[in-house]
This record gives sequence, structure tokens and C-alpha cells, in this order.
Amino acid sequence: MTRLGFLLDSDSCIGCHACTVACKSEHDVPLGVNRTWVKYIETGTFPDVARKFNVMRCNQCDDAPCMAICPTSALFRADNGVVDFQDDNCIGCKSCMNACPYDALYINPDTSTAHKCNMCNHRLAVGLEPSCQIVCPTEAIKIGDLDDPTSEISRIIARDDVAVRTPEQNTKPKVYYRGADQASLDPTRTAIANDGMIWAETTPGHPTMPVPLGMKPTDEEGVVARTAYTTAHPMTWKEKVSGYLVTKAIAAGVMLVAALLVLMGHSDDQAAVGVVPPMVSGVFLGLTGILLVVDLKQPTRFHYLITRGNWSSWLVRGAYILMAFAIVCGLWWIGGLTESATILKVLAIPAVLAAAGTAGYTAFLFGQCEGRDLWQTPLLLPVLLAQAVTAGGAAYVILDLFMDVPEVTAIRWVLLGGVSATAALIAIELTSKGSRHVELAVGAMTKGKYAQQFWWGGVVVGLVLPATAVIVSLAADIDSPALPALAGLLALIGMFAYEDSFVRAGQSVPLS
Amino acid sequence: MTDFRKYPPFEEWHDWTELDAKAWPDKVEKNYTLVPTTCFNCEAGCGLVTYFDRDTDEIVKIEGNPEHPASRGRNCAKGPATINQVYDPERILYPLKRVGERGSGDWERITWDQALDEIGARIRKAISEDRNNEIMYHVGRPGEEGYTDRVLKAWGVDGHNSHTNICSSNARIGYQSWMGHDRPSSDFANAKVIFLISAHLESGHYFNPHAQRIVEAKAAGAKVICVDPRLSNTGAKADFWLPTWPGTEPFLLLAIARLLIESETWNESFVKRWTNWETYLEQTRPDLPVEWESVRGAMLDEYAEYTPEAAEQKTGIDTDTIREIAELIGEHPTKFASHNWRAAGAGNMGGWQVARCLFFLNVLTGSVATKGGTAGNGMNKFKPAAPIGAPGITSWNELEWPKEFPLSYHEMSILLPHFLNEGRGKLDTYFSRVYNPIWTNPDGFTWMEALKDESKVECHVALTPTWSETSWFADYVLPMGVAAERHDIVSYETHAAKWISFRQSVFRRYAEIKGGTDGESADLGPDARSYDYNPGEVWEENEFWIDLSWRIDPDGSMGIRQWFESEEYPGKPVTIDEYYAKTFAENVPGLADAAAAAGQSPLEYMRDRSAFEVPADPYEPYERAVDPSAVEGCLKDESGVFRKPGTPGTWSGDLDDLDDLKLSPLGDGSPAIEIDGEIKEGFPTPSKKLELFSTTLAEWGWPEYATPKWIPSHVHWEDMDLAGNERILLPTFRIPTLIHTRSANSKWLNEISHRHPLWLHPEDAEMLEIEENGLVRITTRIGHFVIQAWRTEGIRPGVVAASHHMGRWRLEEDKARSWGAGKASITNDGTTWKLKREHGNEPYKSDDEDTERIWWKDTGVHQNATFCVQPDPISGMQCWHQRVRVTPAEPGDEYGDVVVDTAKSHEAYLDWMSNTRPSTNGLRRPFWYARPLKPAATAYRLPTD
Repeated sequence: MTRLGFLLDSDSCIGCHACTVACKSEHDVPLGVNRTWVKYIETGTFPDVARKFNVMRCNQCDDAPCMAICPTSALFRADNGVVDFQDDNCIGCKSCMNACPYDALYINPDTSTAHKCNMCNHRLAVGLEPSCQIVCPTEAIKIGDLDDPTSEISRIIARDDVAVRTPEQNTKPKVYYRGADQASLDPTRTAIANDGMIWAETTPGHPTMPVPLGMKPTDEEGVVARTAYTTAHPMTWKEKVSGYLVTKAIAAGVMLVAALLVLMGHSDDQAAVGVVPPMVSGVFLGLTGILLVVDLKQPTRFHYLITRGNWSSWLVRGAYILMAFAIVCGLWWIGGLTESATILKVLAIPAVLAAAGTAGYTAFLFGQCEGRDLWQTPLLLPVLLAQAVTAGGAAYVILDLFMDVPEVTAIRWVLLGGVSATAALIAIELTSKGSRHVELAVGAMTKGKYAQQFWWGGVVVGLVLPATAVIVSLAADIDSPALPALAGLLALIGMFAYEDSFVRAGQSVPLS
Repeated sequence: MTDFRKYPPFEEWHDWTELDAKAWPDKVEKNYTLVPTTCFNCEAGCGLVTYFDRDTDEIVKIEGNPEHPASRGRNCAKGPATINQVYDPERILYPLKRVGERGSGDWERITWDQALDEIGARIRKAISEDRNNEIMYHVGRPGEEGYTDRVLKAWGVDGHNSHTNICSSNARIGYQSWMGHDRPSSDFANAKVIFLISAHLESGHYFNPHAQRIVEAKAAGAKVICVDPRLSNTGAKADFWLPTWPGTEPFLLLAIARLLIESETWNESFVKRWTNWETYLEQTRPDLPVEWESVRGAMLDEYAEYTPEAAEQKTGIDTDTIREIAELIGEHPTKFASHNWRAAGAGNMGGWQVARCLFFLNVLTGSVATKGGTAGNGMNKFKPAAPIGAPGITSWNELEWPKEFPLSYHEMSILLPHFLNEGRGKLDTYFSRVYNPIWTNPDGFTWMEALKDESKVECHVALTPTWSETSWFADYVLPMGVAAERHDIVSYETHAAKWISFRQSVFRRYAEIKGGTDGESADLGPDARSYDYNPGEVWEENEFWIDLSWRIDPDGSMGIRQWFESEEYPGKPVTIDEYYAKTFAENVPGLADAAAAAGQSPLEYMRDRSAFEVPADPYEPYERAVDPSAVEGCLKDESGVFRKPGTPGTWSGDLDDLDDLKLSPLGDGSPAIEIDGEIKEGFPTPSKKLELFSTTLAEWGWPEYATPKWIPSHVHWEDMDLAGNERILLPTFRIPTLIHTRSANSKWLNEISHRHPLWLHPEDAEMLEIEENGLVRITTRIGHFVIQAWRTEGIRPGVVAASHHMGRWRLEEDKARSWGAGKASITNDGTTWKLKREHGNEPYKSDDEDTERIWWKDTGVHQNATFCVQPDPISGMQCWHQRVRVTPAEPGDEYGDVVVDTAKSHEAYLDWMSNTRPSTNGLRRPFWYARPLKPAATAYRLPTD
């Protein structure tokens, strides 16, 4: 067996960036993205100050989360152990960029596909070392076979003090650092001050931290060093993904409530139970699909999800779940059109399961995102399900404005139930302890950049106001659908605000 | 497969196949021809190999050259970035001539023939009217050995001006005052203690080869000491980072020296054998007997004030550290390798004492040209003799070598515009060559005024690969190639070895290989010119000078053409092939044999490999025995120095007796010295030994500085209002990814580095009330600039610093663009000049898609323009550090503002000139000093009027 890995010698590294440039040259990497770069951190107080250099890139993980999540096997393991990629398969979904806990991947603006360091496998194939290795003035970059105990890097790893980045993600990285201290390798412990970087600008892809006069970057809790140079790693999943979570919740929730109504004996209500719900669901499923496809960097390749699907990826499994759900909706709709109560009764449980799967599969997809610890919370599945319930209730109270809907009180309780469950789960999430990464993400979401959006949008508009409105309408037994409909609308808007802050906050923690 | 090699095997370089990176994992074969050359992005001259795609005939990437003895196949970031410079969409591809006013930015494309005809005619006229000294070649980066010197000699023009005095003049005096050789050549790889007053792990000459060997030594247990007021990357990797108060470094070094002598860990036998201690005692301690036993006491007396405690007070480095370092050095005699080139030398008045005191430690430990020690450049550099000779220069150009600076090392180039303004001369034809004085030099607006004035500079020809602030104001802008497009030979004293590296137009060489048959290269013929093969019509100076010389003297009647004639093709100019074929065949020891063994002509051999190690014994050349025949006819003086008749060593002193005096490039012509009965090579100094006492400094007006001593800097901290808002500005620092003007044309380098905020310590920020990321106004003697602050613990409080590299600008939106230049507007009202930044970098459309992906805006502030000239009175060095006032920006101040009053520049110039001590002995300069284009002895005579 050959398992190639890297030994990066931070003792020898002089931070000259020759490797950065050699790589750009070898692979014609466009401006704005990097396969490899050198991170600079500074520690200490004058005159006991240090600046340290560490090369950052793909870790060629033995248990590569990017490979697991890639829906089309565009990322694959080469025979020599390198995690390589196949451009032609990439649909540009950027799941890999969220699965990777190391910022290793980027979307190449030239090809609109995901690229990363592949150890210059095209060079290895003709017996040449990677470009970064041969250019380095101090020979700080070495490849070697980790399965060969006599290889130079195996010997170094065996005898010297070496470290890897983020071992707790269990990706089994094959890039080892000699001479790198923890501050150098733990990106949650360093921060770029608002003063910026040593000789490059900061951009939206470089989160920075205010450091008022008289304070130091390390006065911030948990920060042990100041980042003086690094490359930008912009967020990849934004409002289209947050949006898809809401449209999907509506699609799922509508059918959940429809199924509930069937179980409550209204399978004969052709409009409100048989025909309209699957159509609403269909529209929102369609929107979900459109959002997913439009978010792809290679939208015309969306069908690769099926034709070149990688079954281990929850993106693929989710696609099949969505398709199954669409089929169930279709059959339900036929049942509704043909006024067949039997069909509806038969489909009720499958519909519930398919809807739950539709709403909840994202928890498993997010669970594969090893770079986003916030999203890996076990509470995510219940939250998504609760949100589907909320969305279903909201959809129905809004439908109540335009048509006759049975069991209005129950539906209002469903809405209230969904909102309350969501609120409780979020409360548990915020008060539970997590890793530093999670704490930073939660901090960003609730106190930092996304705080306004989270509290005002997600909590007030999305939970407090709708709950209040529904409680009032239930308590005061208000007939008019207007107030609950408003509650439903606010709940959906707030859901978007919450999801968006959750999605963004999850990506706000630096990985390198 | 786990056995990998670094480079394609040499035998396959003409026809090498590897796989396309972008097509992978599809295996698409790409066929390349690998053509080596030498990097042009700094002076190190590292090896490069260009990869030509045989399908497209374009260079696809550039890697290192494994054949190169100094760089060994590895490069810094600037090496592989050369490909950006070759294919930059904004590079100048054709010769241009201005249309309209100077600086108006209107250009017409002309032919090379027209340029040669017109410029040749001017020079011809000037020379025939005896106005030879109105022709000047002002070079920034030479990147070659002696080629242009020969051209100027052929023209009879003492016209070599350089950038040395903004770079290394101080360091050179420091070194040459000891050993004659003016540059250090350290054997870092074998050293045990490495002492850097430099930033050689990130910049400077010779960064890449030095960094390789310093890190090797460190991994083998050597200790690295780095002295720098700011935490450079080098300081960060060092075992000891010593952030001295700027200009106090000699004090620190002398404290260490004193400790070595006091503790008796100095290498007494070496000092006794190889320094002029007798002269030292005679001159400084006439009260003591002239015997070795007096020396230690005399030196302890002389350096009595340099105690560790005094050093702590002066320099800011604590006594424990000073003692620890002295002990460390004392433990490793002969293996102390040190280096100073710019840094404290370039920043401070009296900064030449930095190198002098640093090398003092080499002398005290006997680490002079030892294994692990520091040698002189002449010991390791190899300059092949030119294949065609040239006459000597017989005139002296005071615009470069003025009377006020008899000891300057070398030309007083920073003062050129002031001299022109004073009417000391005018320039008929001024070549600025890979040099950007308006931007790189201090006092850029004074330069702008002078260069715009057609009565002072009648014709300005810019020889440059890229647009620059200076070439914008030229009359002709002639594109000369970068590393891949020109011919040069370089050799540098990077380590304990001798090597040459050949730079060639790889496009031309590729054509030779591709057009060849049966493994033989095509013969491109005598009329081939590099512009036929390079991108556009980019040319190179080697051929330009040859063709220009033919235009100056078409029929040979001026005696110039004869030095540029082809032997192979009579009646035609000498070809590049001929020139280098002859050089390689005859003037590089060992090369002809190596080529023969490889079955190739020497020229082919070098075109294929580009580098050659000259067989040499690098250590202790001064101990080499000299054959008795070499000293035949010489007079031996009391110190054992052999003095040759007809050389300065035996000169009578009579100013009328100069006609037959033969000058050597370095030294006074003495071939050897007798030590303990043996005839040895010695050093090229008047005493043939290392000069603890410099008789030259004593005799030429500076007796107080004859021995190593600390001279308080012009920015000495104790003289400054540090409790108020005065600070020391350190603008000399450079970074690993950029180099002066020409790296602005590399997209990758500028993506990595494009911002140079003002480093300041958080304590200073508080004291000065500079906000987080705040705008700061830096006020100098002649103006001010507005820059952004960057708080860092990595700088001594009291010192602020902004990197040299950024602050580039252009005056028009779509012209003279680069990846590093912003847009500015310049206005002036009398002598007050204002530069306002309109905008920084912006994405735009061009042939390179990456210009649309420019994500950064900052292009820095042109700080140099606000620095007045501050020439060190001895070396002529521009003392770069500034006394400045640091205040929050004022209302109306905008980032990038630069304001200068050139009337104040002039005042400052006069002020500094008043510190000089012109010669009083009738000679312009010591005969033994090196000097580019060293004229005949008669030219040294000062006119008596």
C-alpha cells in the first residue's frame, strides 16, 4: 500500500511564499483563490515577540469528509493515497467546501468547479515531486509514503514532535507539521485584528476583530495570537441555502398537516386536503429544486446527482428523498383530483415519513459538514422537523385566508406547537456547552455579526410574535384568519432569518 | 511509485514530456523544451528553467535550475513569478518616443532603427564636441558583470552612475576599510554563530542562497542572531532578536568586542598575524611600546566606555543577552559568519561603522574567509574578462564623483538633481536603466523637476522592462527584457564557492533548438537580434549597446566601433553568440574542459545549463603563497609589504608625476606581503593586512574615525523628542515577495503583498492617540504623507516603520498600469508639490482574465518623496531613517497624500553638504579604492583653479 502524505517543517519555513507562487504557476490558479498559502501569526509582547509561518493546504485525509459528501465522486482517492479530483464530474455544489474542516477547497472561477491541492498528482505520475517541494528554499515541504516506515517523513513523524490540524474532526489528516505550535495550527485561537494584515488587505472573506486602543488581540477571550497574514475563504452557502431550508420546510410541512387532517378524518375534503396541499408542496418543492440548482456553480450538471451519484453523500440521498416525496405528492394529488379518500388514507403515513425525510435529511447532510461544527448539533434534526411543523401550520393558516380549511383550531395549535418546539430546541442549543468552534459560531450568531438578524428576525419575528399572535387568537377564540395568517407569515419570515443566521454563523468560524 | 525526482533529467531537457495539470486525471501529454536562464528579480542571480510548450511556443511555467551552484534548483517567490512579468498585459512591448511635453503621457511607437539612429547621433555629436561627460548611464539593477563598463570605456565616457548610495555605500566602506573587498561573502552553511544585521531570510542580496544555508546551519545547531528594530521574518526565526535603537548597533558590537578581548576568548594569533596593529599602536598610543603585548591593553582602553551596562542604556539590549552572545561567539572561533548590507547601514548617518564594527568581530574571532566565517566578495565572486578589450577612461565626471565626497563608495547619485540645479553640469543623454529614481530615491519631486527640465537633461532614454514613475518622464522608453529575454553573465559571492550564471533570451534559444536538426542547434546568423524572438519587440541591452556603438561611430573614425566588431563576420557588429562563445571558451577556468567532456562547444554547454561552478579553493586566500617571480623588482618596506614600481605603492607623492602611474582595480598594486619569512597574498589594502587602523580615513580628513567606533546617528533616540510626537521612521524594510519597481508587473506577487501600513507599537499608538486602523500624518523635514497605522508588538516603541515597496502610482487611467500602481494626480504651486491618491487598484478588462479578478485596492503611499537627501559625509550613503512627527491625520488629509516643498529639500541638501570634508591633498580619491570605470591616475588630479 502506498499512502502519500506531507511533512511540513515549520522550523525551516521562512514564510517566503515561494510555494504559493509555484503552485499558482503549476496549476494556473486564478487570483482570489489558493491551493496553498502561508499563514503568519504573531505572539508576545515587545521585546519577547514571535512571528510564525505555517503552510496551509489540503490534508489528504485518510477519512476525507469531502469525498464522503461529494455527490458525484468528483473527489476520489487515487491509488497512491492522494485525495484527487475529477473536474468533469463536479457540479459546483460546494458541499466539499463545508465538509472540509481545513479551507482546502475553492471554486475555480475559470472552470466553476471545486479545486484543491492534489499533491501535483500529475507530476507524481511521471515521477516528479510537487512544485511546492522543489521550489522551497529551505526544503520545508516533503512528501513521502506513510506506509513505508523507512521513508524520510515516516522517520521524522516517528521520532520528532509533529502535529496535525484539527485532529478532533477525525479526518485522519496526512499532512504533518514539525515545529508548529498549537497557536499556529488552531485557527479558533487566532484572529485578524481590525488593523488588518501585515501586507495584504482584508476582505469579506477575512473576518476581523476590533481591538480598541490600549487593548491587544490576545485580550479577547480564547485568542492566543494575532493572525498577520492569511488568504480569504469566503462563505459559500448563503441565502439560497437558507431559502431552500424554508421552501423545503413548507413543502414538507404542508403535507404533514394534510396527512394529519386525513388522520383526523378529512380525507374527503378535496380542496384543502386532497388537491391544494400537494400543489403547494409541489410549488415549494419546485422552488427548493430551483434554489438548489441555481446555487450550483455548474447548474447544467445537476442531473449528475442521479447519473453519477455517490451514494454515501447525503446530497444524493436527499435528492432521492425529495424525488420520493415528489412522487408521494404526485400520487396524493391524483388521489385528491379523483376524490379518492382511500388513496389519501393509504398515502398518509408514507407522506408523513417522506415529509419528515424531506425536512430532516438536511440534518444528515449538515452532519457530513465536518467544517461546520455548529451544524453538526444533534438538535438540528428535531429543529428541522419542528420547523416543518411550523411551516405546515403557517401554510395552512395562510391558506385559511383564501379557502375553507378544516380543523382550524388544530392547525393553529400545530403552528404554535412548531414554534414552541423550535424555541425550546434553540434555547437548549444556546445554553449547552460545545467545542470552542461551536462557541465561536454561537457567539457570532447571538452576539456578533448575525445577532440582530438572529434575535430580531429569528426569535422576535420568527417565534415570539407568531406565538403571541396564535395564543391570542386561540385564547380570544378569534374567528378571522387574519391574525393567525400574519403569525404564519411572520413565522416563515423569521424562519428564514433564523436559518440564514444559522447557516452563515456556521461558516463564520475560521478553519485555517 | 514512491521514488521521486525533483527535476526532469538533464538529458531530456530539449524534449521532455509530462502531463497536463489541468486535464488531469485525464492523462494528456505535454511536450516541453526546457531552457535555463538566470533570474533578474534581484541581485542574487538564482537559476531558472523555462518550460516551452512545443505546441504553442509559449513559456508555460518557470522553475528552478538544479545546475546552479548557489540556488540549487530552488527559488524565492519572485523567481517563478517571472512568468507573470513576461506575459503581463501592461508590459511595454515596443520602443516608444514621446509626443508632446515631457510627462504628458503621449507616446508614439517607433522602430529600433529610429531609436538607434537618433540616440546614436546625439551621442556621436556629444563625443565629437568633447562633451563626453554629458553622457550618463544611470543603472539601478546591473544584473551583469562589466559588460556596460566596457561599453562606456569604449566610448571614453566616465558615465557610470548607480543606485549604490541608496543601498550599500555605508556597508561597503565598513568592509573595505578592513579588507579592501567591499562586500561580505559568508559561509553560513558551516558557521556556528550567524550574526545578521540584515534580513536575509526574506530580502536583500542574496536572500535565497543565504536563506538556504542559514537554515541548514540552524538545523545543524548554529545559533542565529538578528539585529533589527522591527521584527523582520528573519528576526522571527533567529535565536536572538535584538531590537536595537536605530543607529546604536556599533555600540552593541563594540561592547561584544570588548567582552571578547576582556575574557580573552578572542583569536589573538589571528589578530596578531593579520591586522595592522603596529600602525594602530603607533598612531593611537605613541606612549606604548610597539609590541604585541601592548595591544590588548590599548584596545581595552580605547573601548573602555563600551561596557555591557553602557550598551544596555544606549541600545536597549539587556546586559545578560549581550554577555550571553559574547560568550557564544567566543566559543566558536573561526566559525562566526556575519552580514550587513543595508539595514542599519542604510538607515543611519555613520552607519558604515555598523559593518566596520561587525566585521571587527570576524577579525577578533579569526573568522575571515574561514570555513564558517565571512570572506570578501572578491574572494568568491568570479568576473570573467571580457572577450574584447577597451581603452581606459581618462576623464573624471564630477556629477558622479564630486569633490565634496572623496571617499564615497560609490557615485553620489542621490545628489544628481541638486548638482544639475546648481549648474555643475548638464546631461546631453541620460540613460535611466532598470532604475526609477523619481520613486525609489529620496526627494522624488526634486528629481521630477530636474528630469522635466530639458536644459538640464536634454535627452532622457529609459531602458526598462516596465512602466515606472521615471520612465513616464522620459523621451524614449525602450523595453529591455526580463530574465527570459536578455543575455548577461552574473556571478555573486553567495557562499564559499565561485560560480557564473548565464542569462539568455530563452525565446531565442528555443528557436535555435526547435529549428535545429539531428541534435544540432540552428544557427540564427549574424543578423539575428533578440527582439525577433522575444515577446513584441522587447530587446536587451547587450545587443542594444553594440548596435548603438555602431551608430555612434559608423565608419570607425572615432575609434569606438573597433571595440564592437565581429571577427567571424568582418564588417558586421560582433554577435552575442560570438561575444559569449569567446568568453566561455577562453575566460572561465575549467569551462572549456567541462564542455569538451560533454561533447559541446562552451557556448552550447552554457546555453544548455546556464550555470557553471568555477573550480576554486574558497578559504583563506590571503594565506596563499605567492610565487617569488611576482615580487621581482618590488621594494619591500619595513612591514614586509612588497611595493611595485610604477604603482601607487611607490608613488612619490608628486602630483605632476601621475602620467605613468598604473592603477589596479582594487589595492595599490602590491602583489604580496612577507609574514614570518613567507611571501603571502595578503589583502588588497595599503598595509596588505586587515586595517584595524585605517590610514586612509585618517589621511583623508577623518582621523577621529580611523578605528572602529560608534558614531551617533542622525536619528539617535537620545536626541529626539520621544516624549512628544517625534519618532524614528524606518522605511528601509523589504519583504520576501517584492523587489523595487519591477515586481509591480507580477500579479501573483502583488496579490500576496500590496499594503504597507505604518508599523507602530501599541504604546506609541496610545501615546500619539492613533486610533485602531487610524490614518496617520507623518511629517518629515520637507513635507508629509498620510498612511494607515498597524499596531504590532514587533517593533521597538519609539520607532515606526513602513515597507519600502508600496506607494506606486500612475498619472493616467489606462496607461502605465501595473498590479501595484494606483492612480494619482500631481499638482504643484511653485516649489510645493502635492500628490493626491485618486484610487488604488481596480479590476479591469484586459487580455489576462485575472485583471478582472483583482480583489485588492490598496497600493500604498509614496513615502520616499518626502525624504530629503541625507548623504553620509564619508560614504555618501543616503541615510534613510527619518526624524518624523507622527500625528493623527488632520481634517482634509486623505490616505495616500504626499506633500513636499522642494525649496526645503534644497535647504536640507545644503545642510548635509556642509558636513563634508573635501580632499586637501590635491587628489580626488584614494588611488587604492575601487571605483567603477576607474580612470587613469592623471584624472585623479584635482584642478588647481
